[in-house]
Amino acid sequence: MARKISWFTGGLMMGVLILFTFSIWGADRPIGASTYVPYFAGLIFGLDPEQYAYMKQIEKAGAWEGVMLLGAFFGGLFMSVFVTKTFRFSVLPTLWKERKNRSVASRLFWSFVSGFLMIVGARLAGGCTSGHFLSGASQIAVSGLIFGGIVMVTLVVTGRLFYNRKGAQDV
Amino acid sequence: MFDAMLQRFVHMFEIVAAEGHGSLWMVLFIGFVFGAIIQWSRVDKFEKIAGFAMLEDMTVPKMLFFAIGFASIFLYFLIEIGMAHYHVKPVMLGGLVIGAVLFGIAMAIFGKCPGTGPISVAEGRIDVLVGAIGGIFGGLFFTWAYPWLEPIMGPDYGELTLPQFFEGQEHLVVLVYGLALIAVAFALPNIEYLDPEDHEEKVEI
Repeated sequence: MARKISWFTGGLMMGVLILFTFSIWGADRPIGASTYVPYFAGLIFGLDPEQYAYMKQIEKAGAWEGVMLLGAFFGGLFMSVFVTKTFRFSVLPTLWKERKNRSVASRLFWSFVSGFLMIVGARLAGGCTSGHFLSGASQIAVSGLIFGGIVMVTLVVTGRLFYNRKGAQDV
Repeated sequence: MFDAMLQRFVHMFEIVAAEGHGSLWMVLFIGFVFGAIIQWSRVDKFEKIAGFAMLEDMTVPKMLFFAIGFASIFLYFLIEIGMAHYHVKPVMLGGLVIGAVLFGIAMAIFGKCPGTGPISVAEGRIDVLVGAIGGIFGGLFFTWAYPWLEPIMGPDYGELTLPQFFEGQEHLVVLVYGLALIAVAFALPNIEYLDPEDHEEKVEI
């Protein structure tokens, strides 16, 4: 089996999966992938849904996504071990070393901070790349288009400001 | 404490089994395929997502635009014949704008998003595991602060879609939108950052 697929093949497969999930033969609901995080936070820290309004509100969507992402974890594990053969323990991404620094502490610090901000942002916006981009924009939802537009711009601006210029350093 | 956690974890499966959005196996299957596609096309990698932010790799926007363009045309058709339903998220303007800005900044630094994160952890990325723990605390913070955050998330403009603004022309709008996104997917430069540590090679269409 091919060790990697192109953006075209991947996009086509993802498009079919979106359609299948939306359809009555699949789950009759969109794909989403950020509600499970506060849901898991509730599980781990034992937050009572009767006490926290948000917990109660996301209970069903959170559980659905929790199970879906559990499947995604095993899908990723299976492919990385058997097909793409890319499974390896690592801390510093190659491009981080090239454009930011070679410090493990720095990468872990920024991972934690950005992971935190990402979930707060996704829950404020009511969705993420999956819910707003893939599912929202496929329905031509105005919310998905606004989210997609702003994220793309801030993403590229941050990429420009946060990292070093290409070829600027080689330590 | 561990018992209570386990109990709620089991309850998660009970909720999904009782909910009627696909059987438990169906939801696991959808997730498995989702993870497999993302891992196979390597878009869970830092180099692909943060690489897009640095304009070193265009795989993510090409794949996203193509998937959405393709799905939008056929989804509209499925909905018309009653085989799928709309699940449109409302335009909560305040939350959407502030949330999207935070999300975009975080995505550029983390090089992941909530869906690709677990897949990345599955291929052995320790930094992403640490980021996921940050995310759990983010979720905890949001749940706790929700009563104070809720007022700034509005105003709610309702569940709007673009075709609603073009009465009588819905089909045309959907078709133009879908084809335009597919055209953008092809038009974006096909540049890719090939990670030497993964022995990555370029794949043609």
